[in-house]
Amino acid sequence: MPTILGELAGVEARSKKYMELHVLAKISLPLFISLSLPFAKEPLQAFTLVIASAAACAAAGVPLSALKKYLAVIVSMSAFIVLAFSLFTYIPGRVLFEVTLWRMQAEKGVFEWKIAVTDTGLRYSAAFILRIFAMILSATLLLASVTDRDLVWGLLSLRMPFGVCVAVSLFFRGIFLFVSDFHTIREAMIARGVDFERTSLAKRFMLYANALIPLLSLMITRSYEVSLSLESRGITPGSRSASGYRLYRMGLSDYAVVAAGVGLMLTFAAWGWLA
Amino acid sequence: MAGETQAREEAPRRKVTWMHIVTFAFATAISYVLAVVSSLIFPVLGAPGVSALYIAAAIYVPLGIWMGMWGCLAGYISCFFLGLYPSGYSLVQSFVWSWADFIEALVPALIYKGLKAELDFTVKRPRAAKLLLLFVSTGCVLLLLGVVIQVLWGATYGEPFTTAYVALVYIGTALAAAGIILGLIAGNPRTWVAQILSVIGASLFSGIWGAGTLTIFNFPPPLPAELFWPVFVGWVVGDLIVLSVISTALLMALTPVFKRTGLLVRGWWA
Repeated sequence: MPTILGELAGVEARSKKYMELHVLAKISLPLFISLSLPFAKEPLQAFTLVIASAAACAAAGVPLSALKKYLAVIVSMSAFIVLAFSLFTYIPGRVLFEVTLWRMQAEKGVFEWKIAVTDTGLRYSAAFILRIFAMILSATLLLASVTDRDLVWGLLSLRMPFGVCVAVSLFFRGIFLFVSDFHTIREAMIARGVDFERTSLAKRFMLYANALIPLLSLMITRSYEVSLSLESRGITPGSRSASGYRLYRMGLSDYAVVAAGVGLMLTFAAWGWLA
Repeated sequence: MAGETQAREEAPRRKVTWMHIVTFAFATAISYVLAVVSSLIFPVLGAPGVSALYIAAAIYVPLGIWMGMWGCLAGYISCFFLGLYPSGYSLVQSFVWSWADFIEALVPALIYKGLKAELDFTVKRPRAAKLLLLFVSTGCVLLLLGVVIQVLWGATYGEPFTTAYVALVYIGTALAAAGIILGLIAGNPRTWVAQILSVIGASLFSGIWGAGTLTIFNFPPPLPAELFWPVFVGWVVGDLIVLSVISTALLMALTPVFKRTGLLVRGWWA
């Protein structure tokens, strides 16, 4: 069964042992990494968290090349962060570079817009950028190791109503159904003479907007068919799984992973508190 | 009074059916796909997951009006997964940030229910219906720019920023007022006023929460607080365009279908 990121971007955890863990353990490790993020305020703390997240990914067999999928995110956020600390605000500190872009005499003083790079600004930028890496690694670890079947079994073991379990399952199946529907509608538009390559951005926006009406109509038709088939099987949304048809319990290794996550978070909390 | 009570007693209790759940699940899936597509095609650079034209909002916002809480949940879950991939936010950051889209669907639902507006999008004057949202959106964008100029520079430096603020606010208000007047003559006045308020309210409140959780309050905010205004303006302007153009068109085209199939909810869930 492919993982969520496996289906979306072809990236999956390769460690068999990690993949066999209980879904709660697989969710809790990235959760505790993300809970450690607020404590990583200094570049060294953030860097240590990046190393810990990368180690967790490596242990789970998630290829670190998955970061390539987030390249646009990393580049754009990093650039924006540096701009924020040098162009949009002045961070007091030792000035390394300064240039005034616009100077104007206003009613209550002189308005100046300048690029000012200070050592403190660079330290803040480094901490923010490193945290982005930790944040992305934790999201990758979660999505590359959890399958939709894991989630459904997890929900069934918690004795959640069938309505919730079916909705989760249909959400994941629905993504691929509607990607293919969207392609079909797009091809139909091309067959009628629409040239997506040559049209302007504004016109393309309107074309995509027009495609939403058949897309939603298809959704209603499909919902009708699926709900009729569920009803015909006599399943009600509120009914629950009656028996332990499939036992899904946490084992020793699951508790060990959860404990490692808690330990990581407490370490960063203590470090953040003492720093 | 007695007759009224009897009628209330006789009315069958509406229940959540598979149709609601399945439609919600599929709508969430569509919203997620569109959210990914729009944040890749029309990104607000530096703020992953934020799109200058967030087309997904055109699905779950009308869904909130048609199906109440199901639309709000569709917005929340699609945004939660958008936060994880391709935006790369952590589990907790995404959990907090995604309430922006929940709010975006909730505000119109609350407005329609609060005003007891009928979902009657019959248009008596098509030209007025086309122009009203253009006027309202442009007016709101100008108002927003005016407020941003005043908050960032006008309050500290005075002139000439104050003059720019005053001019933008006057022109923006005039355009928005003209849009509302056009709304009163376009068709059912209560419906169109509710729609105009929904477009403005949903964009504004979701923008405050969305840009706020990306820059000011989160665990931790992925972007510095200095970026609040650029992200907020990008968010609100994008939502205003999408909600006024696409979501209104979808409401007009598909409301009869939702009424016919029994998917329209009267309360919050059924």
